[in-house]
Amino acid sequence: MHVALSGITVRFGALTAVDDVSLAIAPGEIHAIVGENGAGKSTLMNALFGLVEPAAGTVSIDGTVRRWTSPQGAIAAGLGMVHQHFMLQEEMTVLENIVLCSEPVGRFGFVDFAAAHRRLKESAEGHGIVIGLDRVVGLLSVGERQVVEILKVLYREAEVFILDEPTSVLTPQEKDRLFAILKSFRAAGKAIVLITHKLDEVMEIADRVSVMRGGRLIASGRLAETSKEEIARGIIGGELPAARQRRASEPGEVVLSVDKLVAAGRGMAVGPVTLSVRAGEIVGIAGVSGNGQAELAQALTGLKPSTSGAITLCGIRIEALDVERRRLIGMSYTPEDRQRVGLALGATVAENANAGRDDRAAFSHGPFLNRPAMARFARSLIERYRIRVGGPSARASTMSGGNKQKLVVGRELARAAPLVVAENPTWGVDIGAIDFIHGELMRMRDEGHAVLLISTELDEILALSDRILVMYAGRIAGEVARGEASRERIGGLMTSRAVDALPEVA
Amino acid sequence: MNLARLSLLRGELLPWLGVTVSIAVVLFALMALAGAPFGQALSGFVDGAFGGRRFSYLLTTLSRTALIVGMAISVMLSFRAGLFNIGGEGQLVAGGVVAALVAILLPGPPLLVLLVSIFAAMAAGALWALLAGVLQLYLGVPLLVGSLLLNYPIRYIGSYLVAHPFRDVGSGMVQSHLVPQATWLPYFPGTRLDIGILFIAVASIFAIVYSHATVHGYHARLNGLSPDFARAVGLPVKRLALQTLAMSGAIAGLVGAIAVFGIHHRYIDGMLVQPLYAWTGIIAVLLVGMVPWLVPLSGFFFAAIQTGAAGMERTAGVPKEIALVMQAVIILFVASRVSGALLASSDRKAGGDGDA
Repeated sequence: MHVALSGITVRFGALTAVDDVSLAIAPGEIHAIVGENGAGKSTLMNALFGLVEPAAGTVSIDGTVRRWTSPQGAIAAGLGMVHQHFMLQEEMTVLENIVLCSEPVGRFGFVDFAAAHRRLKESAEGHGIVIGLDRVVGLLSVGERQVVEILKVLYREAEVFILDEPTSVLTPQEKDRLFAILKSFRAAGKAIVLITHKLDEVMEIADRVSVMRGGRLIASGRLAETSKEEIARGIIGGELPAARQRRASEPGEVVLSVDKLVAAGRGMAVGPVTLSVRAGEIVGIAGVSGNGQAELAQALTGLKPSTSGAITLCGIRIEALDVERRRLIGMSYTPEDRQRVGLALGATVAENANAGRDDRAAFSHGPFLNRPAMARFARSLIERYRIRVGGPSARASTMSGGNKQKLVVGRELARAAPLVVAENPTWGVDIGAIDFIHGELMRMRDEGHAVLLISTELDEILALSDRILVMYAGRIAGEVARGEASRERIGGLMTSRAVDALPEVA
Repeated sequence: MNLARLSLLRGELLPWLGVTVSIAVVLFALMALAGAPFGQALSGFVDGAFGGRRFSYLLTTLSRTALIVGMAISVMLSFRAGLFNIGGEGQLVAGGVVAALVAILLPGPPLLVLLVSIFAAMAAGALWALLAGVLQLYLGVPLLVGSLLLNYPIRYIGSYLVAHPFRDVGSGMVQSHLVPQATWLPYFPGTRLDIGILFIAVASIFAIVYSHATVHGYHARLNGLSPDFARAVGLPVKRLALQTLAMSGAIAGLVGAIAVFGIHHRYIDGMLVQPLYAWTGIIAVLLVGMVPWLVPLSGFFFAAIQTGAAGMERTAGVPKEIALVMQAVIILFVASRVSGALLASSDRKAGGDGDA
């Protein structure tokens, strides 16, 4: 079954997530779609699968233009999708999960489980898949659950399989098993779309590769006709972004020092991580998301306890302290998720602005709030950070994404803490706000604060950092000094193990 | 400014109007079913809730209002902080039992005994609430489950205490002895309404001021709106949770003490459980979406519904069962309003980052 996407455009508000993308998916091929986070890969496939409605463009199957607005329509047309987050009923068995919503109905309206069992066993064994159909899903490993999801698609006789980041949760052995299944599907003439950001996997299994960046399709062609280096260049873009103006200065004393820190992560331990940040420098932590950056940030800020290792902030050991005490010693934190962690959306701008302030006396009289003082402080942030909002008493939820983020950044930077931990500080905000937030972070650096910038946006890391650390698979894969930073070097560290990319480091 | 007023109207007044209209429609249908005369039933309802000879029914409504509002305030403090403490009943019973026993056992000047008993009742309620908090924070029992399950042991501990060691055997009932008459809360002159309602008025004012104007109330509210946010900005979330639960439980304990010293003058088995004060309080809070100053009004509304239904039964011959169905219908509409509001707020959350 040939699927052709032509001119697909998807917009979320003012943001164009997918911009005029045309793509052909052919049977008997594994087609990898690669790109950074936010490049539009998943959105493009969600548009194909009927989960989001494209603003423009058409989908045609075997030459005829088709339209559907729900996944049911896509499934009926012969498409199947395995999502990054599994959608399974934990309490039910494998078989029950698979036949759910397309049960074979026997006489008198009962579900004919025996027939389903037979049919499923046959097609599973045909592809070398072994799984107990009567086991309860809640007891299965992550890899086995993924197999259940794949069987669900297989059972509905799909001709096109879309897998969204299928290996992000798998162990290497499980990954090998998955790839064996995919190869068997390919041999059976099915079309497979693999959304991934892992270059190694693309090189291993894909027949055709399409590179997306910033919602656009950068390149598409047979794997044999390209190279790993060319794909990496496509993923991370052309030249280096213009570096921001910075004051030449020697970094001062060590503000944050992390020694062999280990934290529990999803499916793998993160660490041991050793790093230090000095006053007056921005240390960037680059890496594809999901390589331990979130766990590192939570261990540093105290939101989750670390397993072992030491964290020293301004000369004080903090790994056993709670968030409040770490902040008092001198830490500010702008979290990645401004909706849930950065702000209380139901509270007013003033209430959000004054949360977590150390100088309690400035906004209270004894146990009582000094509302006018709170509003004054909020107004000063609104002016200082040029936040567009109705006023201090407007709800935080009424602001746009960029303004929300400016409020978070403003609140945290106004504390003038010696260390600023900024986690994806410009994720999903408009260009004007990005520029402004970058300027503020640079100003903090120039004023002698230590800034740890954790970001999956390589451009942001390159523009701001004095030193760049790259995280891969829970560890620091390498360090690159500002002067010698190149996309290829960082890209290599980001997408494969340090030993492969930089033999001299290992 | 106008826009803000309009949204207030839409957010707080319109749902009330909708609920009232729907309830009226169903009530009239039910009355028609029961064959009760509309006019008589309605006047029976109004009279039963607000009238009576020298307003005696209104005073009954107010007496009930005091207890319901007290429980509602207790629950509201927890809910606003994001703590789903539904163990108000247990905390209420703990307060009632302790108040009665301390007053019976403690010798001394009556006023002192009264004050000590009330403080003991508040401490008992606070401790019982803290127990649920400790279960959640240190043993991982969800507060919703822990606080609910803790209702049962205290209820039967109370039953045991007044059925065996402290039973007023002579009365033939499962109840304690009377507390000394000098400790009874006085009535307002010329009425049968005790001054317990003043305690609740003070507690309500405290709760409103606390929620809007104190640092602690502000921090608790932030925790209620977004626990992740509260943790990330370094609020002492565990301490906040325990302190809020203690406050919430203390108010429930106070309500128990008021029921003892103002109304029953002893602890009677089931006297705090059967009238469903705690549960009515929860519903009263949910009805007004946890807006502090509306809670006393909402509590009064529920008390009036209950006494009014009783009045309708007395005067218009509406069967008790139909009156109970009417009460249930009212609660049902309230519940639907609440879940509708919750749905709308989760929609808003889901659509929230479309602007990013």
